[in-house]
Amino acid sequence: MSLVDLATTRKPWIVRHRLLLLGVLAAVLFPFVIAIVVDGAPISAVWENADGNAKFLQGLAIEVVVLALYAMSYDLVLGVSGLLSFGHAMFFAVGAYSLGILLKSAGLGLVPSLLIVMGIAVLVALLFAVVLPRVKGIGFALVTLGLASVTGIIISSSEFKDYTGADVGLQGVPSPDWLNPTDQRFRFYLVSMGVLVLVYLLYQRLVDSPTGKVLVAVRDNEDRALMLGYSTFWYKTFALIVASMTAALAGSLHTLYQPIVTPEVAGLGFTVAALLMILIGGVGTVSGAIVGAAVFRLTEFYLDRWFEGLSNLLIGAGYILLVLFLPYGIVGTWRTRSNRIGEGRSRLARLLSGSKGE
Amino acid sequence: MSLLSLEAVNTHIGQYHILQGVDLEVGAGEIVAMLGRNGAGKTTTLKTIMGLHPRTGGTVTFDGEEIGELRPYEVASLGIGYVPENRAIFADLSVEENLRIAERERGDLARSIDFIHDLFPDLARLAELPGTSLSGGQQQMLAVARALVPENRLLLIDEPSEGLAPVIIEQMMEAIRSISSDTTVLLVEQNFVVASRLAQQYVILEEGRSVAGGAMADLVDDDETINRYLGAG
Amino acid sequence: MTTATAKPSLGDRWSKAWTRDRRRIIVAAVVAALLVIGLGGLDPEDWFVTIMRGLATGAITFLVASGLSLILGLMDVLNLAHGELFMLGAYLGWTAYIRPDTTVDLLAPILITIAPFALWALWRPLGRKVAALGSRWAGWLLVAVGLGGWWWAWRLFPLAIWDPSVYAESPITFSLAFDIGTLVPLPAGTFGGPALIAVLAMLVAASIAAVGLVSFNPTGSPRPSAKGIGASIVALAAGLSILAWREGLVEGLFAMNPTLRFFLAGIVSVIVISAIGAGVEVALIRPLYDRPIYQLMITLGFGFILIELVREVWGRPEFTMPKPPAFNGIGEGCPGQGIGDLFSGCSTIEMFGARIRTYNELFIVGIGIIVLVGVSLLIKRTRIGMVIRAGVQDRHMVEALGVNVRVVFMGVFAMGAGLAALGGVLAGPSIGLSPEMGGRLLLSALIALAIGGLTSFPGAAVGAVLVGILQQIIIRYGQTGIPLPWLEEPFKPSPPLVPASTVLLMIVILLVLPNGLLGKAEH
Repeated sequence: MSLVDLATTRKPWIVRHRLLLLGVLAAVLFPFVIAIVVDGAPISAVWENADGNAKFLQGLAIEVVVLALYAMSYDLVLGVSGLLSFGHAMFFAVGAYSLGILLKSAGLGLVPSLLIVMGIAVLVALLFAVVLPRVKGIGFALVTLGLASVTGIIISSSEFKDYTGADVGLQGVPSPDWLNPTDQRFRFYLVSMGVLVLVYLLYQRLVDSPTGKVLVAVRDNEDRALMLGYSTFWYKTFALIVASMTAALAGSLHTLYQPIVTPEVAGLGFTVAALLMILIGGVGTVSGAIVGAAVFRLTEFYLDRWFEGLSNLLIGAGYILLVLFLPYGIVGTWRTRSNRIGEGRSRLARLLSGSKGE
Repeated sequence: MSLLSLEAVNTHIGQYHILQGVDLEVGAGEIVAMLGRNGAGKTTTLKTIMGLHPRTGGTVTFDGEEIGELRPYEVASLGIGYVPENRAIFADLSVEENLRIAERERGDLARSIDFIHDLFPDLARLAELPGTSLSGGQQQMLAVARALVPENRLLLIDEPSEGLAPVIIEQMMEAIRSISSDTTVLLVEQNFVVASRLAQQYVILEEGRSVAGGAMADLVDDDETINRYLGAG
Repeated sequence: MTTATAKPSLGDRWSKAWTRDRRRIIVAAVVAALLVIGLGGLDPEDWFVTIMRGLATGAITFLVASGLSLILGLMDVLNLAHGELFMLGAYLGWTAYIRPDTTVDLLAPILITIAPFALWALWRPLGRKVAALGSRWAGWLLVAVGLGGWWWAWRLFPLAIWDPSVYAESPITFSLAFDIGTLVPLPAGTFGGPALIAVLAMLVAASIAAVGLVSFNPTGSPRPSAKGIGASIVALAAGLSILAWREGLVEGLFAMNPTLRFFLAGIVSVIVISAIGAGVEVALIRPLYDRPIYQLMITLGFGFILIELVREVWGRPEFTMPKPPAFNGIGEGCPGQGIGDLFSGCSTIEMFGARIRTYNELFIVGIGIIVLVGVSLLIKRTRIGMVIRAGVQDRHMVEALGVNVRVVFMGVFAMGAGLAALGGVLAGPSIGLSPEMGGRLLLSALIALAIGGLTSFPGAAVGAVLVGILQQIIIRYGQTGIPLPWLEEPFKPSPPLVPASTVLLMIVILLVLPNGLLGKAEH
């Protein structure tokens, strides 16, 4: 087997996903390491959910997972499909609030509630799809922004206070005992990690699939895709539905984990947060959303802790520097680099094997 | 000596390598026709000269001065007028304003308006109308007239005969001929008959490279070159 | 070549307009009918007040929307920091109006900083040497060093300023003190070191930063233009004389007619915000013209920074901006009778049996109309306007004709920012100041633009007025209630329904007319 063959053969699944597998391993070991090293507690503290840094940091990680799912769904809409939506927070908010209302006011179980939430998510995506053929570009951004702000207004209006908690927020959502965010923190942590890994693999497949390729083609040049005979509308609708379901799932986890869900999750600010996360990670890279969510939440948390009032100012400044100096995001830049390294490697392989390349 | 010369010019648009080595010379006072099939890079060459597409290699020299790095407005201020393929008449401006916007110095229009109206009598009559209300031929006249407002030494004209009726093509050719008495012209033209009757020199582009060139009189008899680079297919 | 030269008759034109714009005309008629029905449900004196208030809201919205629309049309940039420029304009206006002493203290170092920058060309030889080092980081390093040095020098300058965390020394208190006439100058600050060192340090630091910036584009003559030298000398002299004669200047400004000071404050705010707008275009927008989504992000980030800055400097709580006294009189001879009494000094006048506030409903609307007419004339009649109209369609062709479009872009961005600042100063006395005011107004302005047609200047005006009147009608019905046959109590729309109604109007109009009422189809 020559070096040339090595460079071209498709590697086995486990090699291609070695980073992911390492990440999963690290995520599972992480609470134990913190418990032992930082808290100085026995290993059993983790599954007994004893208070301490381990438990606290698991909570932070769950928040990161929620944001990562949400940011990934926005990356599918903006980065992969090229739809400039300013109303993405609506997908999340509808998921979060409908799960909360179904569990609390309707008294349904978790599984039927989740199924209904997914159905609602599809309907919301279809609502976005209805305006797709009519308005493009900034028009679409404004209409989706409008839809999201109407949702925000309904959520916070006093007329539905009994269900949504209005301005104050939705509180007292009963979470099932086996998935209690405080008593069963470690289990909640593992479940949310599992959800994230599954959704990530699904997204990877979707982006690499023929459908994903068409979505990218539509983003880059819609007219050409239309001329090639693709019904771009249905591809975009499909992307919206998948994104809406993912965001609703993120919203559901949010409701289950947080003691209170505030109307802010329907606001423009929350869409901007998604934008920020995929920008940090790298637009259109999918895995960038996870990196972006982690960086976003952790910087926010620690800046807030260290600089208090100035944290938003620093975030804004960091944001501008990021756009100017790291335009492809962390994952995007890393990929361009490793592509270049990869190119160098294959050139080396050609040289060694004596074949003449360009 | 040549007024404009391109040497090994390369241009990328996005990731596409459109021009892969264009050489051409335009002597002062000449009309040079750039020929070639659709997609050969003729329009891109004109835009590269204007600085509308950033050049990625080679040199563009105008009157002995390197202009490849200049911005479009700086190129234009050297005395290069541009008549684009789609005519780019401003819809929100009247015919008169479409001319006035091309003024580089106050009084340019006043100086040139009589000449323009002599060439294209229609434009005098239509002065107050909005740019969009013109017919295709009138738009083409306006686009050429716009390049005549300031004192230009070189005109880049892209497809002046495209989509026009034969009568108007004749008028346009007459106009270009009388312009060329004191202005150099680089012409992109699909219509070989028009090109051969106007130009003294020619350059042929093929897939982003200049592949042939010389005196137009020689090309007219050179069936092989014509079939090879300009024939259908 | 046989185009008819005769003017088409009115009937002809109508039938043409009808076939071309049928949908537009129907939508406009329906919207107008709805507004009339909405107003019809109010008492006669109510509907006049409601319209006037709607026009006032519309005028403020228009001032923000017009700049947004010009920038969007010409440069394809949706400036999401526009609301924050509006807000900052209001805060700066308040500062120059209520705290002239602080303003004067701020002005001196700013003018001194401008002086080295005005000599831009002088730094080119040095800039070339820096650029020759090969890395852009060298330039950025100089900029950072310059900023650091500037900050150090800045701290040495005396500054009489409020403290938002202490109630008695916060902007809220000063606004109240102004209203009851007990506002006095703050105790003057002192230099934190020798004054000469502070001034020199600031000049040196600004020069270092200028060299850093020049190094990014050092081509050109190393000889400053006469204008540059003049501006530099004037700025330095003005800065130094402010330092020397501060006391007299502050006394004079405090003794000045407060209404005049309000106008002066407006001018100061508009100039400063225009300069900031120009800076934003050059530093943040220009590097990103080939990446439009990133322009959105960067303006958004800049907006965040401005909000936080305002929270830090002026404090988080909302406070009022006192009305200029010429529009705030009560008592003897008030309310005025009819429009003739606009300048009688009364806060309200009676018109058509209704009481109209002179500042909110007449003065603001008047300025709005003046700006509308002025900018329309600028666009229709001047060469700049011609370039703008042409650039909206095809900026590359405009540039190929020999127009330096970049300068026009910078100018339009500055003008848009200035209009927003004007809106902010005008809105201050009627809606109060809060760091969040910009976001709310940006939303209204975007809705107005979507309704009127994103890049249409008249569309911005029409959309803004529609949004304003609709908002005021809903607010009014929120007080009186709408009697509905199937409800026992009249339905009272709650305050959140005000923005919701405009959003719904926008969605409906966009679905029927994707380009808005007056917009053109994209090319």
